[in-house]
This record gives sequence, structure tokens and C-alpha cells, in this order.
Amino acid sequence: MAPLHLLVVCGMLAVAGAAHAQSATPGGMPPPPGMSLAESAAMRFPQPVRVGDLLGREVLRPVESQDVLGRVRLVVRDKNGQIMVVIDFSGFLGFGTRPIAVPVDATVLLGQDMEIVAFTPKQLQQFPTFSSSGTTDVPDDTIIKVGLAKPSH
Amino acid sequence: MKSPFRPDLAPGATVLDDHKPLIRSLERRGLIRGGLSLGALVMLTGCDITRPEAVESALLAISRFNDRVQALLFDPNKLAPTYPASMILRPPKFNAYYEVVDVKPVNGATWRLEVSGLVADKRAWTLPDLQALPQTSMVIKHICVEGWSYIGGWTGVPLRLFLERVGADLRAKYVAFKTADNYPSSIDMASALHPQTLLALQYGGEPLANPFGYPMRLRTAVKLGYKNPKWVTAIEVTNKYPGGYWESLGFPWFAGI
Repeated sequence: MAPLHLLVVCGMLAVAGAAHAQSATPGGMPPPPGMSLAESAAMRFPQPVRVGDLLGREVLRPVESQDVLGRVRLVVRDKNGQIMVVIDFSGFLGFGTRPIAVPVDATVLLGQDMEIVAFTPKQLQQFPTFSSSGTTDVPDDTIIKVGLAKPSH
Repeated sequence: MKSPFRPDLAPGATVLDDHKPLIRSLERRGLIRGGLSLGALVMLTGCDITRPEAVESALLAISRFNDRVQALLFDPNKLAPTYPASMILRPPKFNAYYEVVDVKPVNGATWRLEVSGLVADKRAWTLPDLQALPQTSMVIKHICVEGWSYIGGWTGVPLRLFLERVGADLRAKYVAFKTADNYPSSIDMASALHPQTLLALQYGGEPLANPFGYPMRLRTAVKLGYKNPKWVTAIEVTNKYPGGYWESLGFPWFAGI
């Protein structure tokens, strides 16, 4: 297993340098050049999940150490109608976080947790702080579809 | 001062390195691996620890001994804890020995369940055949050897009922499974007859989704997660040890909870 995890780490580092470099992240994420987020998410057997059940979930990094990237704050539709997961990102012990909006197709369900599989932490740091203007909250009872992944450990 | 327990001739320090893959493959739990110190290997008296095969066979012998003890301790009437339906995780957690993008969905319309070995009726079963049998539901914890768990709600045919319907020899030792994803597995007859062992057809009141074993998987509350093969295509009742995917890689076979 160790060589595989090493590859993963190398993949993440490579992506940090070149956003479109093909990564060895499990499942072929981020999507290879020419494949959209939606197309790659469709390969991950998206499953129905209640929006209210996503709130508060831990969001992990898809590496063996499974670092916590943040927690799900809410789910919105942006002005293009795309579903975005708003995550209280980074911070330390829950303090100093800022909300960022990540396309739902860049995330996966991992049992009780979620992972962001299409962006590295460095890329996420460049995401603008989420502003609710122009977005609409997705109600708790709405069922959306989110892809799957196997545990990264 | 030199310990009186220290052997005159110490084994080479490379011994642990030589067996590292085997030790890692046995168990992720640090507690158990921690016990496998150089000193503990020396305790394998009668083994020549300079030969990797000798240590491997000694460790596997211990694992088989553990299996026998677990089988003796198994209480066929004791039920695993159950939970309210409100605690069911929807959707369940995916896991396999490969990535989710490599899941190959099974066509429920053409799917057949083959039955072989020590059974009276070897007729193959269709999905409607199984759906026509009495169903049981249970909300139980799925516990993975890796350390994670989740609560899931499963509905299906009790394996005991199925084995009785096909006229299986219930005194046979093993019930073995083959799957569409080439993940053979097998359990002991006592666990197969346990009331919380199902041929599961539904999760949370809905047909199993493709990544979770549609159309049928084994779900038992008395075994670790890796003893719950998905996309089951064949069941065999046998007295010949059938092994399994992870078992052939050194995981314990009984794997009771």
C-alpha cells in the first residue's frame, strides 16, 4: 500500500504546481484534461442524500492522513443553478475558518464524512470567501446526488 | 548487568525487516502489531526465524488457532445490538478492494444465484424467486477491520431460511460465496444459521444500489465487514475449507464480532 499512498502524495504536489496535471489520486481525480467535473462525478455512482444530513459533516482530504479540511455549513445553488457545498474551511480547532463554496461534483460521500477529491488544499486556499448574494439555500429536505469513494486510509 | 533472560545468541536484527510485509498484512491495529516485537518472535520456540516461511506458517497457525477459539466461543442464539431506523446512514459507506469507478453493475434481470455442494435442490434462483421468500429487516452496525463503522438497515431473506429451502446439509462446516467482482468469501455454518445473517436485497427500504451489491449481498451482524460479500452469484455448502479473498492474504477467516 505504501507506494500507492506515496503516488497519491506526489500527485497532490504535482497538481499544486499545475492545475491540469493528471493526478494519481484514487479514482482518477481530479478529472483528467477534457473531462468535466460532472462527467467525473458521474463515474463515482452518485447516490441520493438528504441535504440536511450533510450539514455539519467533516470534510476530509483524500489522503491516508485524512486531514480535516472543514465542515459542511450549508448547500446552495449558485446563480447558474449549480449545487455548491459551502464549507467552513481551514482554521484551527474550529476557529478562524472562512466559508468557501465547492461544486458538489468535486466532493464525494465517505460514509458519515465527505471528501473534496477534485481540488488540493492549495487550490482551495485560492477560493474566494463565500458570499450568499445571488445564491439560494437548498432546503434540508431536498435530495441531491453525490458521488462515492472508498476510504483513503 | 546482562539480563539472565537474554539468550546467548541473539537473532539478527534484520528478522523484523524480512517479515515486514507479512506483519503489516496481518492487522492494522498497533496493539497487535506492537506485540510482534523481536522478542515475541523469539517466543516462537521451535521455529527457525531466519526462514521467513517458518515465521509465516507459525503466525498463520496462531491465526487458525484464534479462529477455532472464536468458533468455540460463538453463541448461535446471542443477538448483536440493533438500532432504531432513524439511525440508518443513507447512503451507506462504500468500500471494496478497488475504487468505486471500477464497480461493474450487475443486471438484476439476467442475474442468477447458483446453488451447489451439499444441497438437495441445485436449481438456480432469480431475483423474483428470492423476493418471493419471507423477508426480514435488521438495523445493525457494519464494523470494518480497518476501524470504522456505520449503522445500516438491511432487508432480505434469512440465510437459514434459504439453506432450509434448498435442502442444505445444515451439519456441513462451511457456506461459501462467489461474487460478480471476484471476491470469494466463506463463513461457518453456525454463523450462516444465525438469525442476523441475511441474503440482503434492500437497504433502507430500497433495492440495493449498484455500489452496495445489487441485486444481492450477504449481510451478517456477527462478522467483520470483509465477511459480507457483495454481488453474490453463487452459494456452495461444503465441508472443504473454501477460504476467501482477504483470508488468502493473511486476514483471519472466522472474523467474528
